Amino acid sequence: MEKIATICVYCGCGCGLVLHVEDGRVVGASPSPAHPVSRGRLCVKGWLAADFVHHPDRLKTPLVRRGERMARVSWDEALSLSARRLREIREESGPDSLAILTSAKGTNEENYLLAKLARAALGTNNVDHVARLCHAPSVAGLGIALGSGAMTNPIRSLLSSDAILVTGSNTTEQHPLVAATILEAQARGATLIVADPRRTQMAELADIHLAPRLGTDVAWTNGMLNLIIGRGLIDEDFINERTEGFSALKELALRYTPAAVERITGIPPGDLEKAAAAFGEAPRAGVVYAMGTTQHSSGTDNVLALANLVLATGNVGRDGTGIYPLRGHQNVQGACDMGALPIFYSGYQKVEDPAARRKMEAAWGTDLPATPGLTAVEMMEAAEEGRIRGMIISGENPMISYPDRGQVIRALRSLDFLAVADIFPTETTALADVVLPVASFAEKDGTFTSTERRIQRVRRAVTPPGEARPEVEVAAELLRRFSVTADYASPEEVMGEISSVTPSYGGVSSRRLGISGLSWPCPSPDHPGTEILHQGSFPIGRARFYVVEQQHLPEDLDYPLFLTTGRSLFHFHTGTMTRRTHLLDRERPKATVDINPADAAALGVRSGTMVVVESATGSLEIEARLTAEVPMGTVYIPFHFAEAPANQLTTRTLDPTSKIPGLKRTPVRIRRADG
Amino acid sequence: MTSTTALFISREDLIHLLEELSGTLEVVAPVLVGDEAAFATWRGEALALDDKNPLASPVEFFLPKKEVLFRYVQYSGRYTFSEDPPKARLIFGMRPCDLLALKVIDGIFGADLSDLPYAGRRRSTIIVALNCTSPGEGCFCRSMGSGPVAEGGYDLLLTDLGRGYLVEAGSPAGVYILRAHHRHFEEADIEDIKEKERLLALAGEKMIKRGPFPNPEKIREAIDGADWEEAGRRCLACGGCSFVCPVCHCFSVLDQGVPDGERLRCRDSCILSGFSRMTSGANPRPDPGERLRHWYLDKFVYIPEKTGLFGCVGCGRCSRVCLGEADRWSFFREATE
Repeated sequence: MEKIATICVYCGCGCGLVLHVEDGRVVGASPSPAHPVSRGRLCVKGWLAADFVHHPDRLKTPLVRRGERMARVSWDEALSLSARRLREIREESGPDSLAILTSAKGTNEENYLLAKLARAALGTNNVDHVARLCHAPSVAGLGIALGSGAMTNPIRSLLSSDAILVTGSNTTEQHPLVAATILEAQARGATLIVADPRRTQMAELADIHLAPRLGTDVAWTNGMLNLIIGRGLIDEDFINERTEGFSALKELALRYTPAAVERITGIPPGDLEKAAAAFGEAPRAGVVYAMGTTQHSSGTDNVLALANLVLATGNVGRDGTGIYPLRGHQNVQGACDMGALPIFYSGYQKVEDPAARRKMEAAWGTDLPATPGLTAVEMMEAAEEGRIRGMIISGENPMISYPDRGQVIRALRSLDFLAVADIFPTETTALADVVLPVASFAEKDGTFTSTERRIQRVRRAVTPPGEARPEVEVAAELLRRFSVTADYASPEEVMGEISSVTPSYGGVSSRRLGISGLSWPCPSPDHPGTEILHQGSFPIGRARFYVVEQQHLPEDLDYPLFLTTGRSLFHFHTGTMTRRTHLLDRERPKATVDINPADAAALGVRSGTMVVVESATGSLEIEARLTAEVPMGTVYIPFHFAEAPANQLTTRTLDPTSKIPGLKRTPVRIRRADG
Repeated sequence: MTSTTALFISREDLIHLLEELSGTLEVVAPVLVGDEAAFATWRGEALALDDKNPLASPVEFFLPKKEVLFRYVQYSGRYTFSEDPPKARLIFGMRPCDLLALKVIDGIFGADLSDLPYAGRRRSTIIVALNCTSPGEGCFCRSMGSGPVAEGGYDLLLTDLGRGYLVEAGSPAGVYILRAHHRHFEEADIEDIKEKERLLALAGEKMIKRGPFPNPEKIREAIDGADWEEAGRRCLACGGCSFVCPVCHCFSVLDQGVPDGERLRCRDSCILSGFSRMTSGANPRPDPGERLRHWYLDKFVYIPEKTGLFGCVGCGRCSRVCLGEADRWSFFREATE
């Protein structure tokens, strides 16, 4: 039996995992005791992370559509066909008729090469990935407020906090190792404040639980500022020395009195006062947030409001302080870092910046497009309208994960050519012209970058099944078919190229990555990495306060309830892996809609009743589950299940700045399926 | 329980011995994986014996987390089956707590109808145990009667004396190895044996503070009186305690692949709600607290009823992995004080 130290494939915690390999098969996983995040512990998905690897459903050979059937072909045929079709479309309709969606499940090296493929080979900046649906508002909001869109501090830093505000994060289910750290901090004396409309386990364990109405985050955050300013709990030295724009913010906050906030959010003034006092009085406080904050049509404003809160209280740049956007995938941070975004090259170098573009053109030996590309949801709209005709989707399953599923189907069906690379057949590969079988995390070398900017080594434990290949090889093959040099002997060589063109990864090499990895920025080979950002200064000089107002939320009498979506502890995203892990699927074998018992009584619905949930975009039939975890007026559906895809109901109302869709608040109505 | 005269082996000779043995057997030993000791096939790398007992128990070499019970192939409507024979293995450096765990599992998988895959691996595995001279922080083997000194259940037993190891045989296979590879050993002198006793007494003393031998009645009272609802509120449902426990052995069986495929036996966990949920949807243990209570009852009431031994060997691993930061042993320490 071999044991291989690697990194877990699920959430952004980036836990150290040891894979147990017997006769070329992964037979188990256990936590890595020396790893700084997992410290010998894992969540249930981590313990079972190996279970899907050898599932018989794995894609093993390249497939090409022949009418209604998919035929097995050689890699050469599949890749040459893909390159030929993409080239034809480009000649007919120009490079911006092509697009690539990369995968937050892929390695940094894979994401870098796929972004390179879009820009250097296809000639378009139409490259994006699932970050658009998770932390695009963080990249945008924290980017302009602090100068960097990533978590400011490592997870461990929370152990030194005196107060922790967790908002829009079902931490015990989505980032269990972060939750464990927060609860450890609470046991050491930190005050835990949780803001969540749902009574999650985190809310249940909190010292103070604020339950705002969906979509009212700016109001209560501004309300906390109002009280913190009123009680003189702001950090004036920090504000004067390191920030700008506070006076305008002060005026704004004045209007968000506890009474006004209560009218908008439903939070009793007494609770808000307790939260503001605990946060404001703490010598070291941190803000942890996730999708509940970002997946709104006001996502960027929500992030900016939280940034205001940490800046006004001077909670940046020290151990125990900071702002912690928890990234959902194990490498969504890395995919962003690698420039799998329509406006950035790797390291957030803007495609519109001529100097950055010249540098990348020199490195890649080709001309590069200057105009920013389309974001993920915009790509789907463009596809439906015929403006995008050819697409490569790598390891994403937009049929389940993107908003407004009906539109996604129309969009993908409108394409003249779609190639999908994945490890399992999915609802998206079903629509593909070419399906490319690729290696899972246990079958390839490379690096992942966790939510705390920790760049860590992923190691090949077993060989991929059948003819499946690591995507580094697939992307390199495609690059060569577009006459772009891509002679990489190994993922290490790709990292060599990444570090040569990416200042924040400048000192990173696979050789340097021990059990603790390296946190970026790591500009040079002798640089130890940066665990805490913004210690002396901000990348933009002074941090900036932004005046953000609570959006008006119109009522719709036809759709009196609000649907919010999320993920379960036992499943990951579209379930391609966890639904093939039998202990996990057994825990949550089917979708349910959570309804408050009072709402359910009015609808004549009991637990187990089949109901129809309808929104402006679609409807689905689903089993009801009665629980007081959701407040009256709000219903909740996890989006993992193809049988009852929650995204059939969600809409494409985008945040104007970050283009994230407002997945967390969809007006719906519910009726019994039999009546 | 020294069955033959004690011998002595130097650190260098130990490596030579393992090299010779690995010619005929798969030698499994603690080696460094990700900067920490883990049991894996030994290929001549440095032994990680000074570290604490690896987090993943070597019991997995007898009860794998996942095993293929057999493969099935359909041909013209008829099925044929094939299974792999057990591997000939030597596990080096197994600690007394894990040895006792194996004895408990023998009482379950070896009793009545013997479990064939388990029995096959048990028969084809040689165990070289290592007495625990430096117990880990969270260990309480002495309270559970499993350590720090191994009492039977091994083929060879080693005690680290610093300059080398004292070696004792505990079975015919052990005696055979000592004879067949005699040139690596020398006679131990009386000082070596005194040194062993001194070191193990010292290790035992370190552990006295960690609680008394549990009284079954007191434990039952503690389980009945505990606030399981509160314990359940803090449980993050990782299942780690059951996945890491060397005594936990629950499994589920599933067939993967149609028409050809494999019948797999995989580790299961009573901490998961699906473990006790019935097809109707009814669940006799619907809350996390009730499942935790069951976990304790199994270890301290049900397994003792069946095997005469506690289902806990005091290795402390459940506390090491608990995401809810629960010190599982403190529960009893407080209750029995």
